[in-house]
Amino acid sequence: MSTPTQTETTSESTFTRLSGVWNEYLPYWFMAPMVLVMVMITFFPGAYDLYLSLVAEPTLNVLDAEFVGLRNYETAFTRGGAVHSFIITITVVVSALLLESVLGFFLAALVTGVESSRAKSFYRVLFIIPMAVAPVSLATIGRIMLNTEIGVIPYLINAATPFTAPAFLSDVPLLTVILLDTWNWTPFMFIIFYAGLSSVPGTLIEASRVDGAPLWRRYVHVIIPYMKPVVFVAALIRMIDLFRTFGVVYGLTRGGPGTATQLVSINVYEQMFINNQAGVAAAIAIVYLVFVIVLCNVLIAKVGFKGVLD
Amino acid sequence: MATEDIEPATKSQRLDEGTRKTVVRVVRHSLLLTWSFVVLFPLYWLVSMSLKPPGLANSLPPDWIFLPTVYNYIQLLQREEFLMAFANSIIMVTASVILVLLIGVPAAYVLSRYDVPMQRDVLVWILSSRMLPPIAVVIPFFVIFRELNLFDTRIGMVIMYVSINLSLVVWVMKAFFDGIPETLEEAARVDGATQFQGFLKVVLPAAKPGIFSVAIISFIFAWIELLFGLVLTSFEAVPVTLFVYSFIGSRSIEWSMLAAASTAMIVPVVVFLIAVNKYLAAGLSFGVVIKE
Repeated sequence: MSTPTQTETTSESTFTRLSGVWNEYLPYWFMAPMVLVMVMITFFPGAYDLYLSLVAEPTLNVLDAEFVGLRNYETAFTRGGAVHSFIITITVVVSALLLESVLGFFLAALVTGVESSRAKSFYRVLFIIPMAVAPVSLATIGRIMLNTEIGVIPYLINAATPFTAPAFLSDVPLLTVILLDTWNWTPFMFIIFYAGLSSVPGTLIEASRVDGAPLWRRYVHVIIPYMKPVVFVAALIRMIDLFRTFGVVYGLTRGGPGTATQLVSINVYEQMFINNQAGVAAAIAIVYLVFVIVLCNVLIAKVGFKGVLD
Repeated sequence: MATEDIEPATKSQRLDEGTRKTVVRVVRHSLLLTWSFVVLFPLYWLVSMSLKPPGLANSLPPDWIFLPTVYNYIQLLQREEFLMAFANSIIMVTASVILVLLIGVPAAYVLSRYDVPMQRDVLVWILSSRMLPPIAVVIPFFVIFRELNLFDTRIGMVIMYVSINLSLVVWVMKAFFDGIPETLEEAARVDGATQFQGFLKVVLPAAKPGIFSVAIISFIFAWIELLFGLVLTSFEAVPVTLFVYSFIGSRSIEWSMLAAASTAMIVPVVVFLIAVNKYLAAGLSFGVVIKE
């Protein structure tokens, strides 16, 4: 913070002035690139999808395009399978989110209670490893291990239990997708809940222990309410990502058999790149987009974001 | 009824503290080991398949004991497409992580320290970029990339990878900066540092755990991405996920090679995860609890 004196050379004072400008407008320099990228990746695709969904044939000259109103939307919901794919997607999102949250919390609570710090660190590293597996690789593993003829899991079920293994990929494809996603992403919930649990003040737990409250009551009345923000943030982020699910389904069943696992993302992809129906694809995408954004905003407004948004 | 309720409680109180602790420990570790098995079995199966000679890969009942061979990996390394896809992914993903940190971390700092107008709306807007289903994003970019000659280029893919991770970087780092006391920079300012120097030399080092963990998470999200590669590349900039997928797509599946390729894909990320494990939990706390 030196003030330039007369003895300083011109170049030095130019530099001082420049760095003054840099420092004075620091917040703007720091924000500008992010805002630029955000505009590019939010407004542009949204606007372009909207345009695509309203025209018959997209042209580069936007004004030349033949606008068809809501015809693409009508096609999407009558012959495009949009309703079916919405229902399936919501089924997957809700069940996987519930499973992953409960399992993630349970595991985090178990690991937090481990006394030896070495064992703790071992479990922590081990439990986050599935996150390193790309959904498409997981689909590979799933197709190998669940295959009715050559798979080890049907083999073990048939050999070691009185049950007959279902044909995972054709009889219960949706359940298979949910279970594979749970394997893949429970680690995400685990690690966030683990961080949250580690930061619950010991005094709080101690106080409830002295009161003689049993374990489950301590969790329900003290620890979980304290962790509510963490639970909410983790669940929200995971939910948003679940709505994007693509790789595992595409690698596993490609939406099939029939349309049994045709999630919205798969449906849009097929309309766009297999059926060459850009307008219908964009129409489904737009409805989906509006749905997810409204849902998230309702959740954010309802539950609030204490400590993150303020 | 009432007496029955009391009965088990008094009984459990009679158990002495030591026995109770041992029981808890045994139950806890058996549950943890069960989950460890669930985590490890598919990975073990994948790796062991990749180490079996092709004929043995799918024999049932499984050959639990076999002579491991690196035959499949040698086959894999002889495929030029694999080497190229692997190199592509490493280069594109690493570049995108560096770029997303350069863009996202300073912005998160400003969102944490300054009164940004409409702060709440800005943050929700940032999160909304993650709500855009990638499939809705990829169609417009497919068109514009062809116009700008970015289709099937590494630069194009780097841009897409930045787009998926930016919101996460900003959110996690904002929460992290919130947890770093402002007195740190104030002290630096008193010592004559400029605002920028304060950020660079005092705040950034303090935020290291957050930066490490957000970097690894960004790396993972870009590394596992399939859809962008599927739509926006054809030959030159194909990522490794697409290489793995192309195996499944073909009519006769070479299971052993597929297992080897999938294993090769997992290894770098696992190495990373273990390396930054120490920071991961702290970095992903989102600052939500720490702040209260």
